[in-house]
Amino acid sequence: MPAFPVRASGLVLAALLNGCATRQVTPVRMVQLNDANLTCTELRQQIADNRAKAEVFLKKDKMVEQGNTARNIGSVIPMLGVLLVASTDLSNSEQIQARALIDRDQQLAFLEKGKGCLE
Amino acid sequence: MKNDFDVAATGARFLAAAVLLGVLAGCASSARPEAMVLRAEADTRPFPQTLLHSMCVRTVTGGEETNPLWVSKVDNGGFRSALTSSMDSAQLTAPADGCSYPVDVNLLGLSQPIMGFDMTVTSHVNYKVYDRAGQPYLLETVDAPFTAKMSDAFVAAERLRLANEGSIRTSIEKFFVALRDHNAAANAGGSVAAK
Repeated sequence: MPAFPVRASGLVLAALLNGCATRQVTPVRMVQLNDANLTCTELRQQIADNRAKAEVFLKKDKMVEQGNTARNIGSVIPMLGVLLVASTDLSNSEQIQARALIDRDQQLAFLEKGKGCLE
Repeated sequence: MKNDFDVAATGARFLAAAVLLGVLAGCASSARPEAMVLRAEADTRPFPQTLLHSMCVRTVTGGEETNPLWVSKVDNGGFRSALTSSMDSAQLTAPADGCSYPVDVNLLGLSQPIMGFDMTVTSHVNYKVYDRAGQPYLLETVDAPFTAKMSDAFVAAERLRLANEGSIRTSIEKFFVALRDHNAAANAGGSVAAK
């Protein structure tokens, strides 16, 4: 039996058995234990940091989506197509982290207002 | 004339193609709202009295429509319908003009596998409950994994949909646990309890 199809089938089977494990993601929590103790400066700094991180994640998310589209198109290629599909990233890791940071910022802005930091 | 090796190789290719088709094929369909409704709960503790018949789903964002040629997703309408029905059966839903605790839901996203025998989907959802004064009552981030097995559905597209539905059901269950555990007193002054 030719070696290449056997190896390729092995790769595909391994991928199937592994369930093409997605990247684990733990989004930032909207509320954190130390929130009540944050000063106005710390709140402002965290909001700015989160905004910058969210922008980076959103850019990466677009790149992942473009990569997935390319893999999807490449899926019509015999044999290689299956491997391309198997490498598609559906973890949505960047999108999840970006959206979580935006929600976290909403809560920090609420705390900022409550503490009178905006006056 | 073909030898035994060629016949075996051709047979193996057909078998591999059949298995792959079975696993990969099938049009993707959106998660069904009725399958995401939480009906029987393991946790039978009562909800805080103030929440009973006082809640409603105000907004649901972050969901995605399913492209039949791609993978199953959960849309905003389906999620809203499932959460509302779950709140109905838990006696949490307020009458039309009496909503004191509106809930805003942000579906951050679904982490899905592209293929696999056992498919685990993890949903990440932010639940935001506000009180009568518009102050946050509970802000909860819920990560909810759910695995659909080969024995649940042979076709991958269907198995992924089952995993999506199970994950949202689990998410709603965890949200209800957070509501039960929530200590309203901890929120005095507008702060919210961390989970």
